[in-house]
This record gives sequence, structure tokens and C-alpha cells, in this order.
Amino acid sequence: MASDQELIIQFQESINREANFTSLLKKHQQKVYYQIKRMVTDHADADDIAQLVWIKIWDKLDGFKMESEFTTWLFRIAYNETLNYIQKQKKQGTSHSNSDILEYENATASTDSPKSTEIQIGLDRAISQLPEKQKVVFMLRYYEGYDYEKIASIVGTTIGGAKANYHQSVKKVEGFIKQL
Amino acid sequence: MSQNKDMEKDTELNHQANTGNSLEQDRTWADSLLNKQSLSQFNLSKTDAPIHYFESFPDQLMSRIANERLEKLEKKNAKIFFLPSFMQPLNRLAIAATFIIVVGGSFIFLNNSVSKKTQAPIVANDILLQELSSEEIESYVDANEWIAEIDIQAQMQKENSKLSSLDEKQIEEIQKIINK
Repeated sequence: MASDQELIIQFQESINREANFTSLLKKHQQKVYYQIKRMVTDHADADDIAQLVWIKIWDKLDGFKMESEFTTWLFRIAYNETLNYIQKQKKQGTSHSNSDILEYENATASTDSPKSTEIQIGLDRAISQLPEKQKVVFMLRYYEGYDYEKIASIVGTTIGGAKANYHQSVKKVEGFIKQL
Repeated sequence: MSQNKDMEKDTELNHQANTGNSLEQDRTWADSLLNKQSLSQFNLSKTDAPIHYFESFPDQLMSRIANERLEKLEKKNAKIFFLPSFMQPLNRLAIAATFIIVVGGSFIFLNNSVSKKTQAPIVANDILLQELSSEEIESYVDANEWIAEIDIQAQMQKENSKLSSLDEKQIEEIQKIINK
């Protein structure tokens, strides 16, 4: 399988542009989608944002100078597009977060024991209440296992800032669960 | 307020102690505070997608990109439609010809109206003088005889002033000439 760099160079040299772009897309689409979905919850929203992200990548890939890793650039665009989307929804008052939490609570309540259901609901609520930056830092560190340098580049902060965000997110979620 | 400050200090200390470590240490720390099982359950709920979503996404996206490119092209063509036709040689000639006709036409028209204004009275005077009868001319002279008299008197005064300025020798010479 060709590396990201090879695919990008061929794309930039107009060699099988669509095929090379599709290869890049297939390689990274799941991680991009999951990163978005963790922030917006709703599939329709996540799908909308993912499409916007990849359209942007198509438009800007010619100008990508490979000064950073492609995935860092990709996830940064995904993060910014998701933030824009959330802000627009907040302005329009059409956020799905509450209904999705309820849906999730109903789904988990029927399958798990009462205690674990309580913890899961608490965790879900706590994470959904985190500021977007802390939420993303936590997800990228805990679930994706990215190093702090990469996380800092994605969310536009320093390495120290990323570390502090991870710590605060864990402590806030812990505090919220303790209150239950 | 002080409680918040204490919490912040505590957070900083904990941050120093717990985060910025290896990925494994960061994960273990979060697991110990937030319940590992709930965290993995949470991730499962956030990373599900409809069946075959990822298989169909690339085609869906590429067709959207193709459509958007077409729309952009159409918009571009609509925008430059006027300019190229404006710049075509035939149209340029037509515009130049129209300009020459307008400028030349207005020049000729203005010139004609000026020459008519200046020439018309002279022609009219010529015709009138020729058409006048001698009686009409005599009556006009009679009516305006005083003007002619004034002119004659003025002329005589001039001549007298010249004679008075002559000395005796010059007068004698003139008399001799007359006597001869």
C-alpha cells in the first residue's frame, strides 16, 4: 500500500488524481468520522461534517506542503469543521446532543445492570459537558493514543496546554461521576 | 473562590504528577478514576456507523465533488461569458465602428450647424441688397443723412488742423504750386 506522501505527490502531479484521493480517503475515513462523531454524536451531522472535511481536503491538497504529517493536517481540518458546525447549530438552536443522550440512555438501560448503566450515563453526560477542546484532547489521547505534540497541532495549542487539557478533562469527568 | 483556586493548584500538581507521562500511564490513570469498562462502552457507542456506510462513502463523496466542480465550472463560464465575446475580433470591430460613427456623426452635425449659423446672414444680406430698389436705398440714405454729415465735418476738421499746423514757407510753396 502506498504511503500518504506518495499518494499526495501523485495527486499534486495530476497522476490519477481521483484514484489517489480515493485511496487516501479509504485509508483515513473511519478515524475522521469517529473523531467527528465523538464530538457531535448524531450520525447525520457526523456524515455532513465528514463530507465537508473531505471536500476541503480535495480543494486544498494541491497546496499541502508536507511540512507536517498528513493526518495531523487532516484531523485539524476535521476538528475546525466540527467546531464550526457545532457553533452554527448552537446559533440556530438545532443541537442534537440532548436527544442523543436520551436515546443512548434508553439503549444502555435495557442491556446493562443498573449500576453500570448509571456509570455509563454519567460518563456520557460528563464527557458531553466538557469544553470541545478538552473533549477532543481526551478522545485523541485516550482512544486514539496520539502523542501530545500531534494533539497540540490538531487543536491549536501548546504541548503543555494539551497535557493540561487531558488532565482537566479526566478530573472533570471524575468529579461529575462522583456527584451521581 | 478560594476553593476554586485550591482546586486549580491541586489540578496543576496532579497534572505534573499524572500526565505528560507515557500513553500507557495516562490511560491507566484515567481508567483508575473513570472505570475502564464504562470508557470502552462509551467509545463503542460513539464509534458506530450505519452498515456499509464506509463502503458507500467514497463514491458518495466523489460524486458530490464532481457535482460541485461542475457547478463551479458553470458559474465560471457564466461569469466570463460577456468578456470573451467582448474581446472577440468581430465584436471589437463592431464596437470601434460604432464609436467612429457616433463621434464622426456628431462632429459633422456640429460643424454643419456652426457653418449654417455664420454663413446664413451674409447670404441673406447679399440677396437683400440685390433685391432692394434704388428708391428704397435713396429713402434710407435720406433718413440717415445726418450720419454722413457728421463724417464729412469730422474729415474737414482734420484737414483744417493740418493746415493750421503749416508754417508760412510751406503755405507760400503751396500757393506757388496752385498758381502754376
